[in-house]
Amino acid sequence: MLDERIAAELVGGYIRELAASGQRKDGRAFDEIREIKIRPGTFTKAEGEAWVSLGATQVLVGVKADVGTPFPDTPDKGVLISNVELLPLASPTFEPGPPDENAIEMARVVDRALRGSNAIDMEALAIKSGELVYMIFLDMYALDHDGNIIDAFALGSLVALSRTKIPVVEVTEEGEMVVKEETFDLPLRDLPITFTFIKIGDALMLDPTLEEELVSDAAITISIDSSGRVCSIQKRHGSFRVDEIKRAVSIARSKYPEVEKILREQGGLV
Amino acid sequence: MPLIVEKKPEVLITEDGIRTDGRGPLDLRPIKIQVGVLSRADGSAYLEWGGNRVLAAVYGPREVHPKHMALPDRALLRCRYNMAPFSTPERKRPGPDRRSVELSKVIREALLPSIFLERYPGTAIDVFVEILRSDAGTRVAGVTAASLALADAGIEMRGLVTAVAVGRVEDWVVVDPNHDEDQWGDADIPVAFLMEEKEITLLQLDGPMTQEQFDRALELASQAADLIYEVQKEALRRPYEAVRLEILRRGE
Amino acid sequence: MKPERNEPKILVANRDLVLPGQALAVGPIRPGDYVYVDKKGVLRSTKVGLADIREGEIRVVPLAGSYIPREGDLVVGTVSKVAGNTILVNINSAYPGVIIPPRGLRGRARAKYNLSPGDLVLAKVKAFDGVSSPLLSIEGEGLGKLVGGRVYMINPTRVPRVIGKRQSMLMLLKSKLGPEIIVGQNGVIWYNPKSLKHALLMEQVLAKIERESHVSGLSDRVLRLIESSGILDSQGSEAGEV
Repeated sequence: MLDERIAAELVGGYIRELAASGQRKDGRAFDEIREIKIRPGTFTKAEGEAWVSLGATQVLVGVKADVGTPFPDTPDKGVLISNVELLPLASPTFEPGPPDENAIEMARVVDRALRGSNAIDMEALAIKSGELVYMIFLDMYALDHDGNIIDAFALGSLVALSRTKIPVVEVTEEGEMVVKEETFDLPLRDLPITFTFIKIGDALMLDPTLEEELVSDAAITISIDSSGRVCSIQKRHGSFRVDEIKRAVSIARSKYPEVEKILREQGGLV
Repeated sequence: MPLIVEKKPEVLITEDGIRTDGRGPLDLRPIKIQVGVLSRADGSAYLEWGGNRVLAAVYGPREVHPKHMALPDRALLRCRYNMAPFSTPERKRPGPDRRSVELSKVIREALLPSIFLERYPGTAIDVFVEILRSDAGTRVAGVTAASLALADAGIEMRGLVTAVAVGRVEDWVVVDPNHDEDQWGDADIPVAFLMEEKEITLLQLDGPMTQEQFDRALELASQAADLIYEVQKEALRRPYEAVRLEILRRGE
Repeated sequence: MKPERNEPKILVANRDLVLPGQALAVGPIRPGDYVYVDKKGVLRSTKVGLADIREGEIRVVPLAGSYIPREGDLVVGTVSKVAGNTILVNINSAYPGVIIPPRGLRGRARAKYNLSPGDLVLAKVKAFDGVSSPLLSIEGEGLGKLVGGRVYMINPTRVPRVIGKRQSMLMLLKSKLGPEIIVGQNGVIWYNPKSLKHALLMEQVLAKIERESHVSGLSDRVLRLIESSGILDSQGSEAGEV
């Protein structure tokens, strides 16, 4: 029910005060992530799916597999197409229509984290070199916006991709495409986890709520892979000092094991 | 290129009226509803009906943008029906197509008579129906969920709107067609009723029906709506009952 | 011949949870708030709420719904835009409020209207035609810019419970949690807590009221919550002591 403008205006003042004295409105530490919940059940007709909540933020991610022709410069690789829909039901400020710059940025950032870490074995998704490959559609749906949708998307994507079972497709000698009954697991060989930080004054905070996002001076999204390497970065609004960025990277790397554990336990990732 | 090719079942309905999912001609698929599932929307409802997964949300009454679209004597009711790309076996391209534009209108017309629009002049009431998983009967599922989302938002209404589809498979009139019957059946009639009075606010027909079959279909729809109405009401009551029970258990 | 039925038939009990469209009564009884009369003369609820049956009238106390301004209401809002002589105020309603400073003001009286976007204000709804922006007034004792403190947004339908019968709940909160509490009819509550502990307790109390308002005995439960927190009340004695 909270209109975003009134949220920023009403709570902005004391969120800043709290931040200056090392506190957050919901009592979290600056490097504490909200509760991650992966909802059990089947909600789509995707080949892999996840309904994830990060605090009160909720997203639904579906992975669908299709076949098509590869890009001419990568004849032996499957194709990953990432798409974000900021559904109008998720927030009073989201309007119906094609993805705007925020939606597109989010999709590309999640996509880049996957590519940067080589998480998906794209070569294993080729069926016939230069002619037929798997197309993997990663559709990320925002359902409820209470801040940091992008990290929720990234978590949902990892769970959905890890659950994705693709029907085996073969090409006969005569050049006919045959879809078999059996499926194989989408080859996911890394888990790039995304960490978004905001800055309020000099305070650097991880996993902002909507209210914190609205009053923030700057934001940055950092992805870490399973070996602790930085595999993608996107500075969003505002500006950071070099030492702040280094600190953010360091915090992200230190939080990785905790989030990975949650994904494995709740998401059933192998 | 679809990776899943559907085949028409050999038998859609047996001589004894047993359908492909084991139901009898009058049986409804299982329905589960939860209201208040979203924190930002003013009202919301999540519905599972057979294999359907539907999320309905309401924002309103709220300011109209652009201002010139506001009506001086009543609220402007807007409705958007949308299918998720992962809701169907073959991925659906995001964005409205002609079918979803028509369904948006039909759902809006189904809900409109139930709302006291004149109590909110100059404002907008926005209804969103998202089909997360499609399994025949998405529009009736959408109307049923949307009506609850309106109640959850505290919009003044004459009553809840309950919807159900009835189909024809060969000589059988069947309640709540499943996917096979929707694809390969002979007729489909989605109906919505403004409850208690049982006024019909949505009615479409697709496929030939004799007068007798049609009359029977409406009669069966009305009876099925009564059952679904109970599920809707229970969903609205449940959160309040749960708090009441919790307080009792705490011994307060 | 049947005798004339001059008594209304009441179909629900007082404080029953009722749903939109639910039949409440038939016959000679007045339909109050959130009750309509259908074509057959049956009184029905328009909302999810609690039935409230009084002498000669039946109404529904709503449990859901957004704020619709009423003349005389006190509201807490934020200035969203200042354009010339018009100050637009977000009062968390589909009808944004408007403050128009009276002409010919000088000095301190005029200074009151030097508001900027983001400022919190306490205002009174002076006029509302039901269609366009309600006119708000900040003339009057205590009205105008609110400095400091924090804000809690509650479902506007719960405001009567936060205030209580004859202000009983509000007085309880003021005595235990600090006197600076202002409850806007639009569901926006401004308060200036003495400490972080007081602030957190206030949030817990308001959340409890919001959640449990439909179950009787709320005042006792709220009192118990405050007492069990061990917080010192405004007079400096342990809450619960006489």
